[in-house]
Amino acid sequence: MHMADALVSPAIGGIMLAASAGAIAYSAYKCKDDLDEKKIPLMGVMGAVIFAGQMINFTIPGTGSSGHIGGGILLAALLGPFPAFLAITAVLLIQSLFFADGGLLALGCNIWNMGFYACLLVYPLVFRPIVKKGFTPTRLTVASIVSVVLALSCGAFSVVLETLASGITELPFSTFVGMMMPIHLVIGTVEGIVTGAILVFVYKMRPEILESSLENSKLTPGVSLKKVMLSLLVFAVVLGGAISLFASANPDGLEWAMQRVAGTSELEASDSVHNAFAGIQQATAFLPDYGFKSGSEEGSAAGTSFSGLLGAGVTLLLAGGTGYLIYAVKHKKKNQPEA
Amino acid sequence: MANISDSMSTINSLEEMADGKTIIHQFHPMVKLVITLLYIVLVVSFDPYNITGLVFFAFYPVIMMALAEIPYKPLLTRLLVALPFAFFAGVSNIIFDRDLLFLIGTVPVTTGVISFFSIMIKTVFTVMAVLILIATTSLPQISYQLLSIKVPKLIVEQIMLTYRYISVLMQEVSNMYTAYMLRSPGAKGIKMKDMGIFVGQLLLKSFDRAENIYFAMKCRGYDGHYVYAKPDPMKSADWLFLLLTAGLLLLMRFFNLSQFIGSFL
Repeated sequence: MHMADALVSPAIGGIMLAASAGAIAYSAYKCKDDLDEKKIPLMGVMGAVIFAGQMINFTIPGTGSSGHIGGGILLAALLGPFPAFLAITAVLLIQSLFFADGGLLALGCNIWNMGFYACLLVYPLVFRPIVKKGFTPTRLTVASIVSVVLALSCGAFSVVLETLASGITELPFSTFVGMMMPIHLVIGTVEGIVTGAILVFVYKMRPEILESSLENSKLTPGVSLKKVMLSLLVFAVVLGGAISLFASANPDGLEWAMQRVAGTSELEASDSVHNAFAGIQQATAFLPDYGFKSGSEEGSAAGTSFSGLLGAGVTLLLAGGTGYLIYAVKHKKKNQPEA
Repeated sequence: MANISDSMSTINSLEEMADGKTIIHQFHPMVKLVITLLYIVLVVSFDPYNITGLVFFAFYPVIMMALAEIPYKPLLTRLLVALPFAFFAGVSNIIFDRDLLFLIGTVPVTTGVISFFSIMIKTVFTVMAVLILIATTSLPQISYQLLSIKVPKLIVEQIMLTYRYISVLMQEVSNMYTAYMLRSPGAKGIKMKDMGIFVGQLLLKSFDRAENIYFAMKCRGYDGHYVYAKPDPMKSADWLFLLLTAGLLLLMRFFNLSQFIGSFL
């Protein structure tokens, strides 16, 4: 479910980065108040456990396929929601840097989709109420399955929304949702069962771990549930408004920004320079009918034309050649005996 | 378990690369962070149909990889992670977006095909940019920069601690996995019904480990706060590199140089 950079627009990436940064700042603030200093190394190690744990493939009986744990709900149950959210954030950043699993610009989307829903929304609103009356294996299992399915569904649905709002894919909304939701429902059920089994085991061996995280995760009296829900609603409306604004009128946020600043969406070359180059172009052009002419016409797919593509090919060759040249020069330098 | 050992060698090789001494390695981490983000934003900001302007952005990663002496092999493994979903999104464009643009010989080129290539190229470029960042800048260096842009200390400590213990935990998982497989001949992986105990054990061990780490830190004077050395300030060479690269990237974004070259052909 990790989104790559190429699938988000700068506007959506930026909005989601801001949203996640807000959630991180709030979590860090909450942790500062009531976080035992002992918990800091524990959070780090648990982050690493989730990182390694995601690589454990287990076989799903009767299907021949395999699955792995996601870890949002598991971490929240073990550490409490805010520390868990911070731990997941660290894991996602490391995954994007070291394994290209999710992009840097898309990091905000990924933190939101995989961390926010599980730790800060589903855990306090669904998981905790179910197990509040006391831990039993049944309650733990039910809470895990329901929570993981919900968190994954929210995440998958957000992937759809973020990708479509970015305007990258032409996939119709209904098809996209139809593909994403059923599969994540299945994945969520399987992952929920496993999460439940893990929590039941931990509870049987060391009940105090789960109990203490439940204690810690209580909202302080000053923060009412209503307030949290209200701010989420406001956020959703603002986000929805911003996304539709960007997505409808301004597919390209950067050009939109330029239009606001410069009054034009493309930077124009000054006339004299432009004319001079146009002259050179006319004189030397091998395919004079192509080129700028079609590029300036409306609906010409933003300057894509046959000669443009040829130019693109030459550009790639030039870039590759430059790289090769630098490698070659460096290699030669290294092999030269020191004077 | 190939997955774990692969990941461990990936981290190790990236750490070794980040230890290099090339000119790119020596630039200030903040400069590289800013340029990487700028590059990614500019690349993804291209219109899905504008691949001629986009390809000019190949110069940055290619030149940087050459200057920083980064081999191309790790790029391929990273692309394997990033490409499948992008490919899926791209192919659906070919299916759903079928306006004819022009013909090459008798082969029709539709807008969908163009936007498919645009997604693929963007994926390759953005993955390259992040690889260049992490292969020339160590994670602790990046983390210190996060502190200087006021990212909460707690999250930076999380990143550092998690990063520090990933290799330890992966070794642990790898050992447990081997032990499990030796006891279950013919099994293709861990059975789902055993996962609760398997991961549960891992968690319990890790709780104890975290406690020991805490005691060890406490013995060395830890009081809930990390002590950091102040990162070096940016030098004039760093500023020059930043302005020059950022200027070139912006120039490439707003002038379609490919189209210009193409018009000479």
